[in-house]
Amino acid sequence: MDRRDAVKSVAFLLGGALSATTIGVFLEGCNTSTDTKGSNLFSAEQDQMITELADIIIPTTKTPGAKAAGVGPFISLMLKDCYPKEAQEVFVKGLEDLEARSKKEFGSSFIKITVKEREQLVGKLRDETVAAQKAENEKNAAQPAAKLTAPKPAGDKYGAKPNFFLLTRDLTLLGYWSSEIGATQALEYVEIPGRYDGCVDLKPGQRVYS
Amino acid sequence: MNLNTKATAQNTYDAIVVGSGISGGWAAKELTEKGLKVLLLERGRNVEHIKDYTTAMKKPWEFEHRGALTEEQKKTHPVQKRDYPYSEFNESFWVNDEECPYTEVKRFDWYRGFHVGGKSLMWGRQSYRFSDLNFEDNKKDGHGNDWPIRYKDLSSWYDYVERFAGISGQVENWPALPDGQFLPPMEMNCVEKSVKKRIEDHWKKERIMTIGRTANLTVPHGGRGSCQYRNLCSRGCPFGAYFSTQSSTLPAAVATGNLTLRPFSLVDHIIYDKDTKKATGVMVIDSESKENIEFFAKIIFVNGSTLGSTFLLLNSTSEAHPNGLGNASGELGHNLMDHHFRTGATGEAEGFDDKYTYGRRANGIYIPRYQNMGNDKRDYLRGFGYQGGASRTGWHKDVAELAFGGEFKDQMTQPGMWTMGLGGFGESLPYHENRVYIDKTKKDAWGMPVLAIDCEFKDNEQKMRVAMMNDAAEMLEAAGMKNIKTYDAGSSPGMAIHEQGTARMGNDPKTSVLNKWNQMHEVSNVFVTDGSCMPSIACQNPSLTFMALTARAADYAVKELKKGNI
Repeated sequence: MDRRDAVKSVAFLLGGALSATTIGVFLEGCNTSTDTKGSNLFSAEQDQMITELADIIIPTTKTPGAKAAGVGPFISLMLKDCYPKEAQEVFVKGLEDLEARSKKEFGSSFIKITVKEREQLVGKLRDETVAAQKAENEKNAAQPAAKLTAPKPAGDKYGAKPNFFLLTRDLTLLGYWSSEIGATQALEYVEIPGRYDGCVDLKPGQRVYS
Repeated sequence: MNLNTKATAQNTYDAIVVGSGISGGWAAKELTEKGLKVLLLERGRNVEHIKDYTTAMKKPWEFEHRGALTEEQKKTHPVQKRDYPYSEFNESFWVNDEECPYTEVKRFDWYRGFHVGGKSLMWGRQSYRFSDLNFEDNKKDGHGNDWPIRYKDLSSWYDYVERFAGISGQVENWPALPDGQFLPPMEMNCVEKSVKKRIEDHWKKERIMTIGRTANLTVPHGGRGSCQYRNLCSRGCPFGAYFSTQSSTLPAAVATGNLTLRPFSLVDHIIYDKDTKKATGVMVIDSESKENIEFFAKIIFVNGSTLGSTFLLLNSTSEAHPNGLGNASGELGHNLMDHHFRTGATGEAEGFDDKYTYGRRANGIYIPRYQNMGNDKRDYLRGFGYQGGASRTGWHKDVAELAFGGEFKDQMTQPGMWTMGLGGFGESLPYHENRVYIDKTKKDAWGMPVLAIDCEFKDNEQKMRVAMMNDAAEMLEAAGMKNIKTYDAGSSPGMAIHEQGTARMGNDPKTSVLNKWNQMHEVSNVFVTDGSCMPSIACQNPSLTFMALTARAADYAVKELKKGNI
């Protein structure tokens, strides 16, 4: 079956680095399905907050950003429909923590502070996530590899805990690059290429094909 | 029995084909073209070519979840969801596991598609011939039974099916991977061309790399359009540009006027007559109405997929065949195999920053088996091949970890690094104890008992995996790649969707189920020509071999029928 291509396209959409939770959702459904909280997962303020958060990760530059591409509602929908309860809870808690930090550090709600202030908060979240991942990797590397006498079953490397920043970033990138704006304006979309040229000269200003 | 003679006559055909996937479609085509009136039975719904490929023309943003599964879908598809093939993009082509459960004595991922065309709609399309290396391995190392045929028995049938199916590829004169009747090959991209040259130079052509041989048309062929390079094949192709039952064998069979296709027809058992020692027909459960209906024929072709066919034979018990039809050998259900994979290496290519590709090629490169051949000797038996490819994405080397923001966004819209990956596909040995049997403690939605699957990979496969990973890194290094990373993502039987064996061919009726013509040793008018017939699986993608075996068996069956032998 066509496994290389499927993995490649998802990996591309997510910018090379996939979080374990998202790999789980796309390439390998989580091992147990759980009851989800459904349509009441987020408050109206939280939906707004998700939209602003996504627009910090992919802002408008010379092309429209995540807000214009409708990424906020997409993230809310994905978490409601496609993620297990554990990831949903981590995400809601992440939103609550972010809101609390916003009030503490800038005296106002995340949706009311400036873009610069939001960037600072998201930057801190990113740094904390990078540090946590590094610690986790070091811990795993310290464990001696078991000598295998038979192939290990598929899937046990995807057991990592969901992380708020990774979920947000994964879903923003996925939602944006596969949106009509992201795929056709930020990237170049050719619906029916009609041929394959394996070696063409890169033209100046050539955008990535979506 | 109180059969109405008129109803019997209405339900009588020259041949019945059970299953409409890759091999069943071929059986229907060959038998109808030879003048037989054929009933083609399919347990699932009809999927009409083009009209029913409901997602084929959808754009990425038209999928609500952009391909992801909902928690609801995961609940009803606890097996199908385990790997990527079951996704929002072609959700309706995969079975609801709750309706057709099975027992996993050990983990076995059983991917199934119950509809006209079966997995021919979703298959990977890679099409490779077996060589005598493959046909002789069982005999040489004593694992499994000897194949009753050799390459010379099948080569003209490979020619025949390739000419019809349309296989694109490059002639290589590689002994372990015979060349075929190819349409023009797809192009390698510039990184792949460089890797090919450097590997072949480094190993002095004792290892080669070729473009994937694929059942995608590179030129119009047989009334079908050529590949449009969208790489959306598994949704069904509106251009008919890859081989499937719908695009290829079914229209040919329909054109003869000899075909009756009956969807929603789940075959419960093959009816056996102990006086003539032949099968007289099949008992079908209408999978919509659940009504039982009998159909009769002189010849029965069993093409229900590897495990589907074996289930049907095991479920066809009678006084004369208490352990399943044609199972005096006791081998029915045994020697289940699948490829092990998901291990290899990736690297980054430098020096191609001024080059890019156009189009989405639904194909990669292939490195055929080179281990345990000639001077290459290993500490495990058999061998593996690699699939892989190079591509250029929007990912850039100098991007900070978990970057975000406007600069990051704009950078990702510019072509970035070239990466190249090699992933091994390894042969597993035919172990007698890897088996399936009927579990009567469970029932499916149609009241049928279920299959129990007890299968595992072992030490030989694990030793091979180490080499699959290390050799990949070694070749990427020789090809000048940088930042090479190896991986082993684990491999569970069933995941390759290349499950084979469980009704093997052989010369000796005491140790095999089918003879060299895929004919049951014990029931001369029943032929089994899907993956269940395979005595070994080699490391190549298998479907082309099922096609060739099916066409060959159909030819033999009709000749025998005309001679009055069956």
